[in-house]
Amino acid sequence: MADHHNTTEPTVHRHEEIQRKLALKEERKHHNVSFVMMILLTIVAFFAIWSDKISDSFAVIFILTLAVVQVFFQLYIWMHLSHKGHDFPIWGMASGVLIAAITVASLMGMIWTS
Amino acid sequence: MNAGERLTDANFPAHPEKATLEGKNKFLGFWLFLGGETVLFATLFGTYLGLRNMHLDGPSGEELFSLPLVFLATMLLLTSSLTSVYAVLSLKQNKVRSLQGWFIVTLLLGLGFLGLEIYEFIHYVHEGHTFTSSAFGSAFYSLVGFHGAHVLFGTLWITTLLVRNWNRGITLANAPKYYLFALYWHFVDVVWVFIFTVVYLMGKVG
Amino acid sequence: MATHESHKKRSGLMDWLTTVDHKKIGILYLLAGGFFFLIGGLEAILMRIQLMEPDSKIFTGELYNQLLTMHGTTMIFLAAMPIIFGFMNAILPLQIGARDVAFPYVNAVGFWLFFFGGLLLNLSWFLGGAPEAGWTAYAPLSTVAEDTGVDFYVLGLQIAGAGTLAGGINFLVTVINMRAPGMTFMRMPLFTWASFVTSGLILFAFPALTVGFFLLMFERVFDANFFNPDMGGNVLIWEHIFWIFGHPEVYILILPAFGIISEVVSTFSSKRLFGYSAMVFATVLIGFLGFMVWVHHMFTVGLGPVANSIFAVATMAIAIPTGVKIFNWIFTMWGGQIRFTTAMLFAVGFIPTFVMGGVTGVMLSVPAADYQYHDSYFVVAHFHYVIVGGLILGLFSGLYYWYPRMFNRVLNETLGKWNFWLFFIGFHLTFFPQHWLGLMGMPRRVYTYMSGQQLDGANFVSTIGAILMGLGTIVLLINIIISASSKHAASKDPWDGRTLEWAMPVPTPEYNFAQTPLVRGLDALYVEKAAGNGEMTPAEPVGEIHMPNGSILPFFLSLGMFVAGFGFIYSNWIVAIVGLGGVLVTMFLRSVIDDHGYHIHKEEVEADIKGGRA
Repeated sequence: MADHHNTTEPTVHRHEEIQRKLALKEERKHHNVSFVMMILLTIVAFFAIWSDKISDSFAVIFILTLAVVQVFFQLYIWMHLSHKGHDFPIWGMASGVLIAAITVASLMGMIWTS
Repeated sequence: MNAGERLTDANFPAHPEKATLEGKNKFLGFWLFLGGETVLFATLFGTYLGLRNMHLDGPSGEELFSLPLVFLATMLLLTSSLTSVYAVLSLKQNKVRSLQGWFIVTLLLGLGFLGLEIYEFIHYVHEGHTFTSSAFGSAFYSLVGFHGAHVLFGTLWITTLLVRNWNRGITLANAPKYYLFALYWHFVDVVWVFIFTVVYLMGKVG
Repeated sequence: MATHESHKKRSGLMDWLTTVDHKKIGILYLLAGGFFFLIGGLEAILMRIQLMEPDSKIFTGELYNQLLTMHGTTMIFLAAMPIIFGFMNAILPLQIGARDVAFPYVNAVGFWLFFFGGLLLNLSWFLGGAPEAGWTAYAPLSTVAEDTGVDFYVLGLQIAGAGTLAGGINFLVTVINMRAPGMTFMRMPLFTWASFVTSGLILFAFPALTVGFFLLMFERVFDANFFNPDMGGNVLIWEHIFWIFGHPEVYILILPAFGIISEVVSTFSSKRLFGYSAMVFATVLIGFLGFMVWVHHMFTVGLGPVANSIFAVATMAIAIPTGVKIFNWIFTMWGGQIRFTTAMLFAVGFIPTFVMGGVTGVMLSVPAADYQYHDSYFVVAHFHYVIVGGLILGLFSGLYYWYPRMFNRVLNETLGKWNFWLFFIGFHLTFFPQHWLGLMGMPRRVYTYMSGQQLDGANFVSTIGAILMGLGTIVLLINIIISASSKHAASKDPWDGRTLEWAMPVPTPEYNFAQTPLVRGLDALYVEKAAGNGEMTPAEPVGEIHMPNGSILPFFLSLGMFVAGFGFIYSNWIVAIVGLGGVLVTMFLRSVIDDHGYHIHKEEVEADIKGGRA
């Protein structure tokens, strides 16, 4: 308890090191894939509006869905919420999103009463 | 060992950002802070959505917004989010020079984004869309400006962090700081994704 | 290895200004909150003096509005919350067997922000008049007010609120990461649980208020138009934002009191808490529902029958978990060996009083009926029954209960009982008649009433009650002074406690536990007592203890905010920039100066143990 720095063994086994490198390589691949996905989602959303070919009400739902998907990529891949040890961060973000949703809904829907 | 000591490849932990209790606390505390920030931005979004059509005689969002410019800003911020995640990968491999390189790219992209935003705001003011011109104006500049202030704070933060730790390598004390900055930067990008969608794209469809 | 070389021992005032020790910060919170409690109480008594007789002309018009605004604002933000934070700081880390909170430095920042925010707000009395738009500061009343009162309100509370948010995050992380071995979530004392849920509510409710204050400040200082209908604004935005924060705030206040009552009732009934898991579940459920009911403050706005009905049902639902708690406290006492100490008296007085406030709450949750009660003294009676009859009785109970642990002295029991009876009788005399005043049509926030409307008698009684409450508080002050001058130190476990905060000697060592304790069940200390050990089993050998260094930076950071606040209030941008620049400089210094704390050597800890100091 005197010292909280829980340093790992001085020599990391070669086997573990290879495994870690592979995991990081995999992670880098995930990051790249999500980057491409996010670019694509942004472009699709952009053209959904820019082209003016989709009806407005559908376009709004469509681009909002794309935004939510994109945010999941950010949170789960880039911010590592999918990794182990993120239970409380997920609780925190989920609660925040819930309160955020009711806040937005009330300010949108409950201020212009007749 | 001392938390300020440079880590070597031999004693490098799998999660340097969470290897000390202090690091664990910072990691969790910052995530919770981001949960609170979500509510903060939601309140601004709600205010904006409630008032976005109240532009009175001034130009509406549909008339004002220039999508190509905002698209470019979006790409800058999105790419900076990727470069900061690369920096975190370097952090996990104890490659401090590569970490610094990626964070510098992140910083430059963030400054580029800020430049575009300032240019955009000046343009709008010339069009007669100001903070005081209507409820729409107040709500727009508050929401987008709050985000811009977050970007600005982020650039100051990473600059301080890089300069202070330039010759130190990665330590148990600074690894959580780098990691937290990356989280912050991703979150700022998350907020921008919604600003891009809700303010600009939805602004075009009325 | 960082050792004592990097550690300066400070003493006297400097020690208090630089402390990052959660026990000392707890005392600072309690003192500052207690001071504001006296100011808020004085404001209340002045209002009651004005209302004692019909057509009275002592504090009229603007001055009365200032008194009522400052009474509400002070009591909620500057008295109740800081006192709660005082107990959380002083007790929560001890209850979970932690050496410290998760972020000692941020903890100090939180206190000083609150302190300077409260100071800023109260300075308005001397600088052109206090705010007068009510503690809710509804637009457009708050946006059209010409003088600087509301500016003081916005900036003072913004600064104090930032400190509260920091404190909330700090306690969440402390509970999640810093529990001693064996201290599982379902073994945490109820006060810790309640503080945990309260901290969660702070985390998600305060950011909304932060934005609300920013909007109001922008509106007043920078001519924004969020709430100005002429420019397309909408006043309901403020109301929603305020109550999206404001209703959870009610539970932020009352849950810790529930926690205190649970501890006190269990200890002085010499029984474990009845239905512990149900109590935990009820606490979490109340916290969750607390976010779903804010519109019941706005029933008369005209949001329509659907919205009103949904929020009415949600509001009524809160009565269920609250009822669970009431019954569990009663069943805890059932068959127990009850000791009626002052702390227990306050707890037992709390239960029926709070039930009465809860019942009027359910009455108010019916929209059709609420149209009658709205803005009348019935509402005033209701929320004083839950806040004074609930929260304040709970805080008094906690004060008498934990006083020995915080200040190493036991408060005098005879004076304590005088304090209880004066305050308790005074409370009911003050607020019970207000139910009738409200039903007879007396509006709240109005500085006078005419004679001949049958309002005279009840108002007179109400004022007498307020004076009795004041007397009760004076008895408490006398009690504190007597105990401070007494040489008789408290024993380490004066109440035969059941939880970990009673497992250390007094005064509590700065590192709390010389050896982190091993927790082997709910009511950890009682488990060891029942097993015949009498004290906790350590979970680790004696070793070096890591401690954080004190710092003056939190004080200067908050001072910078305070200065910037003046700059914004008077639209003096140089002062504002100087203040904010000071804030940035302290943040910069904090990040570039390495401070890894210091270590207390094993030999020192061993010497403390041998000398009975740890």
